[in-house]
Amino acid sequence: MPVFPPRPVDSTLHGVVDYTAGSTLMTAFPKLARLEGTRAARQIRTAGAIHLAYSVMTDYPLGLVKVIPYKVHLGIDAVAAFALAATPFVTGQYKKGSRQWVPHVALSLFEFASLAMTDPSAKGEFHGDVEAVRAANRVNPHSKIYEGPPAVRPPVAAAG
Amino acid sequence: MRANVWSGRNKTKIEEVPDPKILNDRDAIVKISSTAICGSDLHLYDGYIPTMKHGDILGHEFMGEVVEKGRGVAGLEVGDRVVVPFPIACGDCWSCKHELYSVCENSNPNAGMAEKAFGHSTAGIFGYSHLTGGYAGGQAEYARVPFADVGPIKIESDHSDEEVLFLSDVFPTGYFGADLCDIKGGETIAVFGAGPVGQFAIASAILMGAERVIAIDQYDYRLQMARNKAGATDTIDFSVDPDVVEQLKEVTGGRGPDAVIDAAGMEAAHGHGALHAVDRVKQATRSESDRGHALRDAIMACRPGGIVSVIGVYGGLLDKFPSGAFMNKGLQLRAGQCHVQKYLKPLYEHIKNGDIDPSFVVTHRLGLSDAPDGFETFKHKQDECVKVVLEPERS
Repeated sequence: MPVFPPRPVDSTLHGVVDYTAGSTLMTAFPKLARLEGTRAARQIRTAGAIHLAYSVMTDYPLGLVKVIPYKVHLGIDAVAAFALAATPFVTGQYKKGSRQWVPHVALSLFEFASLAMTDPSAKGEFHGDVEAVRAANRVNPHSKIYEGPPAVRPPVAAAG
Repeated sequence: MRANVWSGRNKTKIEEVPDPKILNDRDAIVKISSTAICGSDLHLYDGYIPTMKHGDILGHEFMGEVVEKGRGVAGLEVGDRVVVPFPIACGDCWSCKHELYSVCENSNPNAGMAEKAFGHSTAGIFGYSHLTGGYAGGQAEYARVPFADVGPIKIESDHSDEEVLFLSDVFPTGYFGADLCDIKGGETIAVFGAGPVGQFAIASAILMGAERVIAIDQYDYRLQMARNKAGATDTIDFSVDPDVVEQLKEVTGGRGPDAVIDAAGMEAAHGHGALHAVDRVKQATRSESDRGHALRDAIMACRPGGIVSVIGVYGGLLDKFPSGAFMNKGLQLRAGQCHVQKYLKPLYEHIKNGDIDPSFVVTHRLGLSDAPDGFETFKHKQDECVKVVLEPERS
């Protein structure tokens, strides 16, 4: 049986989820949740747009302008999920019926579940101690690459 | 004993584990003096090879001293200094009798698992997932070596560990890649990937008499090593210009190389734009296990009637295989995990003759306890890293 690591969502897959979720929230979700024309629909569309915006600016494989560190992105995810869940209760719209707050809370739970399955170390992120490696290394990499003769003799040279 | 164990994606750690024991009459126990991190270990590290378990000891490139042997091990004695080839081969089956050691029919105890993935079982491999037998690897103080009467080569010269260690894998694998190209002298060979295996493929092509060898990579320091040490005559840096196919045609007068070696494999970094993004997404969502950039370009660039030699590791399935180019250009596709045992003696002779000094790839020599940082440094190409050798006897 294949054994998978406990946090199977790497930074690339997290990006796939980000773009899929963000674009769905901006387009189809309010209609599918029968929220069109309501304040809840506007809030969810705004949440989707914000999500897409900071995804585009995140330093992960699917980011386009890589200015936000991946771990900061995950922090924004958590704050945004909490804010989305809290919004109906802050505005008081929860009093108008379950459809005005259940989607917010459900989306928030989805976001937290996604975060729980995400590997925060980020696939593309260096997390070693290069200074410790340099200190422990008994070879000078630069001189190995750039100095000294070739390591192989072509057959003609070998015969000579 | 201490060992470097797989601890999930992008994580290894040094742990105390039980010492290995003789389990079979043909086993030997080797006290490891030097071991290395292989580029293919990164596929395990990155989580793309299934069937890894937490606590699995990594490493399939190692050498050391025989400290114990079973009654059935002929040809080796306690105290012998040996290099251990990465495929575990019985020496008795049809495949071994035909020198196809990496597809030994008896050495993989999880043959059923491998048959499901590949149609047939392949040989067991040290420290390379349960798909290839779940054997403990060599990034440790000791290792159990099954079929020790078949695999290890005795080192009787006074060569340093670094000069002979790579007989375990990367030197024979690179040589095998060049050997598959039928080099008779005067050919033009292109090599995708200037990591350790690519460096040895380049050096081996030179050793066999190729006239031009073109190294392809995105890291300038690796291309410099290819040119300065391995003997590459030309280099292509695809971080500067990603259209490798066009560049290969340009430097070969439009014809293309006679043979192309793919020493990059399933995590080829080369490739930009929409196709690269699609591959990354499909690999991340596990709907495609292998990124085929290097192989696709190898097929597209190779001259009609040429050979594409695949020694970079692939694990499952890849999309957008250019079958039209492959068929209509009449290419030969040759591939495999290296049958290391076949090449051990002739390559050791090359070392003894001074035709090649395999230690040229070593850029980092660390203690075993530095292995986790060594993996990161190697993976992320930090500090001009090409090859990491670990010494278990250092703290």
